[in-house]
Amino acid sequence: MSSAMASTSANLEPLFSFLSTSYATLEQTFNRIPGSAVIARYVKSSHQNDPGRTLLELFLAAFAIWTLLQSRTRADKDDRHFIKFTEKEIDELVNEWTPEPLAEPLSPEEQKELESVPVIVGAQGPRPKLNTGKTVLNFTGTNFTGLAGNEGIKEKAIETLRKYGLGSCGPPGFYGTVDVHVQLEHDIADFLGTEDAILYAQGYSTISSVIPAFAKRGDIIVADRGVNFAIQKGIQISRSTVRWFDHNDLKSLEDVLQGIAKERKKKKAPLTKMFIVTEGIFEKDGVMTDLPKLIELKYKYKYRLILDESISFGSVGRTGRGLTELFNVPASQVDMLVGSVANGLASCGGFCAGSKYVVYHQRINSSAFVFSASMPPLLSVSASEGVNILRNTPSILSTLQENIRTVRGILDKLDCITIPSHPASAMIHIYIRTPTPTLQIPTGSGKPSNPTSIHPRDPPTFDIETEERLLQDVVDEALAQGVLITRARRLRGQEMVEARPSIRLAVSAAFSKKECEKAANVVKAALVKVLGKRR
Amino acid sequence: MSTAASYLSAVKAADARARARGETPVATPALSFSSSVTTSSEDTILDDGEVVSSDALSYPTIPPTSEQVFSTVHTEFGHCANAEYRYTSQHPAGTPVKPHIEQDPPYYVLFTTYVSYIILILFGHVRDFTRKYFNPGEFKHLIPHDGYAPITSDFDSFYTRRLKARIDDCFSYPVTGVAGRTIVLNERKSKDYNRTFYSTGRKVRALNISSYNYLGFAQARGGCADAVEESIRRYGVSACGTRLEGGSLDLHAQAEALVARFIGQEDALICSMGFATNSTIIPALVGKGCLVVSDELNHASIRFGVRLSGANVRMFKHNDMNALEDLLKEAISQGQPKTHRPWKKILIIVEGLFSMEGTMTNLPVLLELKKKYKFYLFIDEAHSVGALGPHGRGVADYFGVDPRSIDILMGTFTKSFGAAGGYISGSKAVVDRIRVRSHSHAYAEAMTPPVLTQIIASMASIMGVAPALPTHGSTGTITKGRIVEQESPEPYPGRAPASILPSWMDLPPAMREGTEGRDRLRRLAFNSRYLSRALEKLGFIVYGHDDSPIVPLLIFNPGKMALFHRLMLQSNTPIVIVVVAYPATPLVTSRVRFCVSAAHTKADIDVVLKACDWIGDVLDLKHAPGERWSLEKITSNAVELVRMESQKHA
Repeated sequence: MSSAMASTSANLEPLFSFLSTSYATLEQTFNRIPGSAVIARYVKSSHQNDPGRTLLELFLAAFAIWTLLQSRTRADKDDRHFIKFTEKEIDELVNEWTPEPLAEPLSPEEQKELESVPVIVGAQGPRPKLNTGKTVLNFTGTNFTGLAGNEGIKEKAIETLRKYGLGSCGPPGFYGTVDVHVQLEHDIADFLGTEDAILYAQGYSTISSVIPAFAKRGDIIVADRGVNFAIQKGIQISRSTVRWFDHNDLKSLEDVLQGIAKERKKKKAPLTKMFIVTEGIFEKDGVMTDLPKLIELKYKYKYRLILDESISFGSVGRTGRGLTELFNVPASQVDMLVGSVANGLASCGGFCAGSKYVVYHQRINSSAFVFSASMPPLLSVSASEGVNILRNTPSILSTLQENIRTVRGILDKLDCITIPSHPASAMIHIYIRTPTPTLQIPTGSGKPSNPTSIHPRDPPTFDIETEERLLQDVVDEALAQGVLITRARRLRGQEMVEARPSIRLAVSAAFSKKECEKAANVVKAALVKVLGKRR
Repeated sequence: MSTAASYLSAVKAADARARARGETPVATPALSFSSSVTTSSEDTILDDGEVVSSDALSYPTIPPTSEQVFSTVHTEFGHCANAEYRYTSQHPAGTPVKPHIEQDPPYYVLFTTYVSYIILILFGHVRDFTRKYFNPGEFKHLIPHDGYAPITSDFDSFYTRRLKARIDDCFSYPVTGVAGRTIVLNERKSKDYNRTFYSTGRKVRALNISSYNYLGFAQARGGCADAVEESIRRYGVSACGTRLEGGSLDLHAQAEALVARFIGQEDALICSMGFATNSTIIPALVGKGCLVVSDELNHASIRFGVRLSGANVRMFKHNDMNALEDLLKEAISQGQPKTHRPWKKILIIVEGLFSMEGTMTNLPVLLELKKKYKFYLFIDEAHSVGALGPHGRGVADYFGVDPRSIDILMGTFTKSFGAAGGYISGSKAVVDRIRVRSHSHAYAEAMTPPVLTQIIASMASIMGVAPALPTHGSTGTITKGRIVEQESPEPYPGRAPASILPSWMDLPPAMREGTEGRDRLRRLAFNSRYLSRALEKLGFIVYGHDDSPIVPLLIFNPGKMALFHRLMLQSNTPIVIVVVAYPATPLVTSRVRFCVSAAHTKADIDVVLKACDWIGDVLDLKHAPGERWSLEKITSNAVELVRMESQKHA
């Protein structure tokens, strides 16, 4: 027993000597630190004067460390909602848990919906061939200017391919800024008359990244109730305070702006960034914003304007510059002018035009720009060539407007439908006219809607399922007659406000007047046939 | 090193020998660059008069012999005939995945790094303070004016203005031409400390070890480019419209069928932008009441998508499977916050290969955990697809795992395939659900035909095509946008059935047979392993997996980043590199990130090593413990180095 003790202490001998030497070195090092004597003296004297104080200081130090460590552990565990389980209970809970399937298989209706998507075999354009073998007049493609299939653009694209390859293989920050991108940015800025522009690789992702690049938590966004899905998502990501105004109602906008100003004055709220977010021509229904009035309001209430011209850029104005050209407003007055290269210039991607600083800010802070590869150079050159063609060929836009007039001239007379779209909009939406006109009559007292909610006070009522079914019948009927049109596809259940079901015609400058007449008459006949049966 | 003149004379001689054998260059554009035909080898050397280029970049060090035929342009895809310089990217079967250990630098490095940042911040504030008084005009956009709040406050933009601006010459360098083995820089300079840049008009060719061109498909010549040219003639450049509203082409269906076959999943869908693939599709999978468990180093697009989805998010320590298991136990036992209701579903999102770390996800352990905890697994293969695995099919292929045991495999075409956009693959039910629910399918423009063609051509050449020579016009029938195949396909990872490729697409034999694709995979595997191990032997601290084509070299001190970049650019053979710092990485671990490509030759890697060796001494970057080799020993024993058993992670 005692020998065991002795051997243990012998074993521990090196440990003891190690401890004593390390203590000595520690003391030495401590003494060597400049100012250590002061600390030692302070601790000694404070302990002499009042041993309780040493204890208190130690306690305080321990508390400080504890608090520091506390913030690093997760808050949940100390949450009063946290339940402590034993290992066994956890295992049981894990075994019991059955997740929902990752995705429900499609219902027959959804399957049908998916199968009703037309597939084009070969080149996209005004007269493509479908997988059924049928050649149709295509009123679905966003080929407003008819640049798709342009031989000059194809040649340029091939030339670029042979010099640059296809992919850019990198984000703009890391050797993905190719000279042709810089050129297109310059071309667009020059075309619109802004200081600078920035390119994104996808049209849809442009605005949903531009909004959160500027609007942050605590900032104020005033947005139209009818904005498209991409804007809704951008606003959601931004986490800003949102106020809504009635769809395309600038009177309502002014009321909301006044309300905010009043509220802020009362609260003495600090100055924050304030934005008006709306569309030039609305993707949902083709309605056009009164830009001059909007600009006036923006200056009056000191807001910045984020304008989505994804539909209007390349489809209105003398040469397709969009709303700013149509209303003769300098584009520099729109703070962030967002457009789609994919729609307007029949290529791919999107852009945001604005002042030098607005663009520079996005180059560092806009996630869809920073974290994405830049667009393939040949598509960028195609778009540059598109700008060039639009600039030099005003007849494209006059043909387009002429075609729109032709189509509208035939469809406007029809009494089974309503067309909300602006007469100049190349995107024509067709609603079924409801038998009882509940749509327009305000049932309430005419009070303004609540600006904190996206839902208007008197929402229009419509039966989505029936209307979609009827409209699909119209689409099928038109297709049988050789005209390809489509329902506006919506993510039902994901949009903040359900859009009214509509048929969406996209008119192109590539059609002849005859073709437009033919197509409009086919659509008209299909509408009459399907909707006439209903009554 | 051979000179241009000696190289060209060797090439002429080779040409003459070939002609003597009676092989004539073929004129058909689709065939003229195929590997089996000797074309005029001068085509493989680009003569771009105005570009400043060193011989090492334009000409291979060893001229070709008459047996060797190179079909690629050397500046795009390097000529390397040595069959020794090949390797297979594969996890050794039956061995556990060793955890990655990050080496720490000596304390003085950490100390000086922190001190550098403190100095930078102090100086920044002092300059801000003085400038505000002496030159207020410069701050006009940062302070409230005329009742408008500034777009960014001076506080928010401090980091960009005072820290990043100092090294802005390392970012967004304007380039031109193909981002292949080499890249041409449009030289720029700054007279006002990086506030503005002006172009000098000079074009400089530099060795490109920065682009995500893993398999070297960034090429302006060759089978893929020929196919793309043909597609532009046939289809134009735009798909005009969204997938659900008339923007669906036969090419989309063909590409999707091919992607599903390549990945080994039942179905796949394609999105026109890589970032948007995550940001618009994750919300279609999860929502309120669901839990997303995400690796802390996941890409911004994943975070964007998860935030949009409305699901709860929990993060776990990078690649730490124990932390993940603890988190899962807690999440499942506690249920949803406050209500304690069980989660509807749990989705784990990780990346196959992490873009800043070069680390690989621990797939075998993840799949073990998946069995027990019943979560769904989403792997972002943006960097790993094409770049890893003996067949280039990504992490599942690398670890020899059935891809269908992973619920969702997402990836992009920007990197390995030299195209753009991304894909999602999974079971048919899942992919169809995404088709009707994802934002991009309904509202975003469809992918354009040239991009689709590049994807089809590059993917088919990695897989090889079966049967090798199809009779023309035997395209599978497209019914309702889906391809219905006529013959029974080869099992995964088999060749691509010819019936799902566009009937007009004419790939050269080497691509159809898959020999070229295999060669690319094996070259990439060799180059990746060689660079990462050689840098370690030189004494650098290198992160990431040996087989990762992303090789991060740790620099730590912020001041050394820009210096490293500038020295590499000014070396005899200019080399462009990417430096990454906070906020993309933790504050102290600033790094250089090399992206190796199959297009690089062993000589190119040697050039990089030589430059790094010198700069590493100058900047005091060699802090790794362990055995060191001299540069000569490394370059002359490259093959041994690559084939050595892994020691790093032991």
